[in-house]
Amino acid sequence: MVQTAKKTVQITIKRQDPEVDGNKPYFQDYNVEVEDWFTVLDVLIKIREQIDGTLSLRCACRASICGSCAMRVNGQAKLVCKTKLTTVMKDNKILVEPVGNMPVITDLTTDFKPFWDKMLAVDPYLKPEEEAPEAEYIAPNEDMVHLVGVMNCIMCGACVSDCTVLEVKDDFLGPAALAKAYRFVADPRDDAENERLSNLIEDGGIWDCTRCMQCVEVCPKDVDPMSRIMAMRANSMDKKMNKSYGARHANAFTSLIKSSGVLNETLLILKTKGFFNIIELIKLLPLAISAQLAGKRPPFLSHSIKNKDNLKKIFKKLENK
Amino acid sequence: MFEHDVLIVGAGLAGLRAALESIDAGKNTAMISKVHPVRSHSCAAQGGINAALTDRGDDWKDHAFSTIKGSDYLADQHAVEIMCQEAGENLIELENMGVIFSRNEEGKLGTRRFGGQTVARTFFVGAITGSAMLHVLYEQTVKKQGQVYEEWFVTKLIIEDGECRGVIAMDMHTGKLQIIKAKSVILATGGAGRIFEPSTNALICTGDGLALAYNAGASLMDMEMIQYHPTGLAGNGILLSEGARGEGAYLLNSEGERFMEDYAPEYLELASRDVVSRSEQTEIDAGRGIDGCVLLDCRHLGREKIEERLGYLQEVATEFRGIDLAEQPIPVKPTMHYIMGGIKTDESGRTDIPGLFAAGECANVSVHGGNRLGANSLLDTIVFGRRSARAAIEYVSTVKTLSKDKTELNNETKRIESLVNRTNGERSATLRNEMGVSMTEGIGVYRDADSISMAKNKITDLIKRYPNTSIDNKGKIFNTDLIFNLELGYMLDVALTMCIGAEERKESRGAHFRTDMTERDDKNWLKHTNVKKKNGEPIFYTSDVTITNWKPEIRKY
Amino acid sequence: MKFAFFPGCVAKGAAPELYTSTVKVAEILGIELDEKAMESASCTGAGVLQEKNQLLGDTLNARNIALAEKQNLPILTICSTCQGVMSQAEQRLENEEYRAQINETLKEEGLEYTGKTPTRHLLWIIVEEIGEKKFKSLVKRKLETLNLAPFYGCYLVRPSKALKFYENPERETCLEDLTEWVGAKVTDFPGSKACCGFPILTVNEKAALKMVGNHTSSAKDLGADAMVTPCPLCHLNLDQYQNRAAGMMKREIDLPIIHVPQLVGLALGLDPKELRINKHIISTKKLLSELSLRP
Repeated sequence: MVQTAKKTVQITIKRQDPEVDGNKPYFQDYNVEVEDWFTVLDVLIKIREQIDGTLSLRCACRASICGSCAMRVNGQAKLVCKTKLTTVMKDNKILVEPVGNMPVITDLTTDFKPFWDKMLAVDPYLKPEEEAPEAEYIAPNEDMVHLVGVMNCIMCGACVSDCTVLEVKDDFLGPAALAKAYRFVADPRDDAENERLSNLIEDGGIWDCTRCMQCVEVCPKDVDPMSRIMAMRANSMDKKMNKSYGARHANAFTSLIKSSGVLNETLLILKTKGFFNIIELIKLLPLAISAQLAGKRPPFLSHSIKNKDNLKKIFKKLENK
Repeated sequence: MFEHDVLIVGAGLAGLRAALESIDAGKNTAMISKVHPVRSHSCAAQGGINAALTDRGDDWKDHAFSTIKGSDYLADQHAVEIMCQEAGENLIELENMGVIFSRNEEGKLGTRRFGGQTVARTFFVGAITGSAMLHVLYEQTVKKQGQVYEEWFVTKLIIEDGECRGVIAMDMHTGKLQIIKAKSVILATGGAGRIFEPSTNALICTGDGLALAYNAGASLMDMEMIQYHPTGLAGNGILLSEGARGEGAYLLNSEGERFMEDYAPEYLELASRDVVSRSEQTEIDAGRGIDGCVLLDCRHLGREKIEERLGYLQEVATEFRGIDLAEQPIPVKPTMHYIMGGIKTDESGRTDIPGLFAAGECANVSVHGGNRLGANSLLDTIVFGRRSARAAIEYVSTVKTLSKDKTELNNETKRIESLVNRTNGERSATLRNEMGVSMTEGIGVYRDADSISMAKNKITDLIKRYPNTSIDNKGKIFNTDLIFNLELGYMLDVALTMCIGAEERKESRGAHFRTDMTERDDKNWLKHTNVKKKNGEPIFYTSDVTITNWKPEIRKY
Repeated sequence: MKFAFFPGCVAKGAAPELYTSTVKVAEILGIELDEKAMESASCTGAGVLQEKNQLLGDTLNARNIALAEKQNLPILTICSTCQGVMSQAEQRLENEEYRAQINETLKEEGLEYTGKTPTRHLLWIIVEEIGEKKFKSLVKRKLETLNLAPFYGCYLVRPSKALKFYENPERETCLEDLTEWVGAKVTDFPGSKACCGFPILTVNEKAALKMVGNHTSSAKDLGADAMVTPCPLCHLNLDQYQNRAAGMMKREIDLPIIHVPQLVGLALGLDPKELRINKHIISTKKLLSELSLRP
């Protein structure tokens, strides 16, 4: 490698040692001489090979294909083998921490068991109904190419690390497991689509996602877990699996836009919860009252957009696509 | 608990396939892996898996011949025949399990061309075939509730009465050593790329199984056969798949010429890898390289094809080099990639030691001989993973006694403890770097008596220095410092056998090209080289190559 | 600067104070808002319609933008969610085939989407078009005693590719910059780019409330006097549900939440009543009195 300008960076690493001090996290600084082309992983390897062998971290392929080295750099999950130092340094400093939403074993090594358990919970294997054919299953190439996008997932855990729902609800299956579930739902050779979807619409499944796009932002392989979750939502609603509030909400939203072009929030809530769902509606009463008093309760009858018939035409054309 | 019929060390493609076979046969099976199965280096294989499907009019004999020719006639032909005959059924099995292979217009499995083959018989998933297969096999073991000792590191094989009866391994999460008794052990630990610097291999490819087998008395065969892949990225050595050339990419020198026309007029960029690597090195040495590299040019393939079939290559090029393959060629050079050599086995994975089996890259059947064709490795892992499991299952029914160990575990625990407690020694990385640089220089694409001797002397010196290395981390929990040091020990043992093989084989064949002995010598050297430990010292011997239908010819591409 | 004004559904419904304050500050900033230009425009779908049918959602957004294009006006939004949804649609519409497919439908109404002028949020326009110098020259009331916690709303910060952060790096820190331009201090708290939980309010109220609670309480504990947000949906959640969240956490929070145009309006010297700041659920009385303003 052509030698380029060297400089020194300060890398702060969040560490903890279960054999010392009750596993309390602490921060340790290292000053490391680096080359311009170094990745964050190059720095970490240099530290543990030449400076401090006690630093514990997982890494293997260095080529963004094994998924071992996901970590939080400056607060955001990244695959450190493909994160160039120059893109994350601020004043020649960076902060490296273990991924979030997982227990830490030591230093940058986390316990992936909850991650794998959730993966297993979506039955991540093909479920064909009949015996395998003598030769290969016949399948269109577009379907296989489409699945490559999801199959690019290397199970690194970056999406799980930064998922905002997992921060507050740890029984959410999470973006990685749900993307894996989608991989089978979308495989033409799998015959368990209905069974899979009816499990996934339950609590902890596809309707728990808050559409914050963290998983989309941090995924190092462009798997786009959120879109896969949305695709399964659409799929389940197409199959009229509409019992969850999430589905009711999406259906109500769509029909309200169809009829007037704008959203009537009051009607939306009523339609979602159900006009006769007394218990839920009573729960909303205090909110409704305070909103009313502040002049912020949306009207029952909202205006419509101009030329709404044009809009209706579009709905009629596309709503079943 | 800690007692199994079949214990498989390594949970990559070969290990997982073996496990599936053993689980299906109802045997008490377990895998043991120093990383989670999906982190195994099988994930880095990109291009595809070869198979001759007879229902398409393809002929397994043609595949077999291509393989044997590719091996420079060092492969054992009966084993190659078996691999090529069983390829089709193994491939279909993989597809039925769910691998998302690419399709043709009829919806049937689609192919791409690959190095050394006369027809397109390489089946693939974009540029992530290895990863796609690995994940599916892992999922199948999950479905069958396969057991994995995950993040356990094997430190020793247990040999009693000349038989392998299990392993001693460390649970990396607690640092505790444990005996795991088994009626049979299958080694599927992959390659040893980290002996070289640079290498396309992951940091975990440290030849563990090879060293374990060697130290237990098994033979390592053809260790001088080191494959340098023609298209590794300069600097960090990351692999750019042969699939690019399979899709039609060119190799250009600094004058913009497709230089392979001079070296392999028929197969061009898709000649066997040793031929291509040597051609590149010759161009570079003659001053027609650019910063020690040649150029891989994919521009004419068009953006759509690159994105659909070579997506991972585009990712590597843009992320690691800032190069858009649709706009610019990318500098590449021959980079250490694969070891054709390995633990000597028969065509069903049996080693010299009863109860010990091996499959995948760590084994040498030999099907790859002096040079492996691309997309034959994935095939090798599946075919011989399955076969070695079947052989192990059969063997298990004859085993009456399990390990009776009373002292080995104590001795091993003491050994590790004293290693940990050493202070003021050299750092593991220092030795590893010296080894890497020397081995690449000494046993490179081109080698000669002097370079080999330089490497051998260096390794011998490092082996002397190794017992005085020390580590920083004295803890028990996830002590990667300790693991590296143990891996360094394994690598030094294996590196020595590579030097011995290179020194002893007095000819050029396949990947072993000696500038001081450039001709292939079938009369004296149509043989396998072997290194075996006896009374603590390596001894060298040769063994026969099995020829069935194909007499050795001059190899031209 | 003239824009097709797209207020979004919430600014006309549950957050009318956003609409009012926007109109008032636009005038002073020299931004001409043509609302009539968008009288046929529909709701963007807010990501919810997209989960039922993405093609339909993209068509609706392409239509809205095409309506503005027909009048040679770029669209101005005042809601992070509207902006994010439109930016994501714009990104998908960069694909020629997809664009042609959608234009087939729009053709029937005599519309065509070309994507010549991307949609922008008021906050971006202040930072990108008006700029620091001009803005500061219009500031009549420096809010120097104010510690403000910025809360962007997911749709205005992710995915960074669709929002063109690479081409417009100032978008990454626009809310902090605006805070400094009005003379206030930024309270650095971990949740500024986090999720408020609004989208899962109906499905999982407990989780949504935890999010509200976590972000407002952490900002409060780090010294924030108020939180500012460019998204009325975030505002709805953080303001209307704050007391419930506090109850769940068994503590007081009491952090007033204000809209970006309200912050701008206070700095430009407008009366709080004009900006309808007194119309929030979490009272802004204390906040205003600290700024020596009568509520």
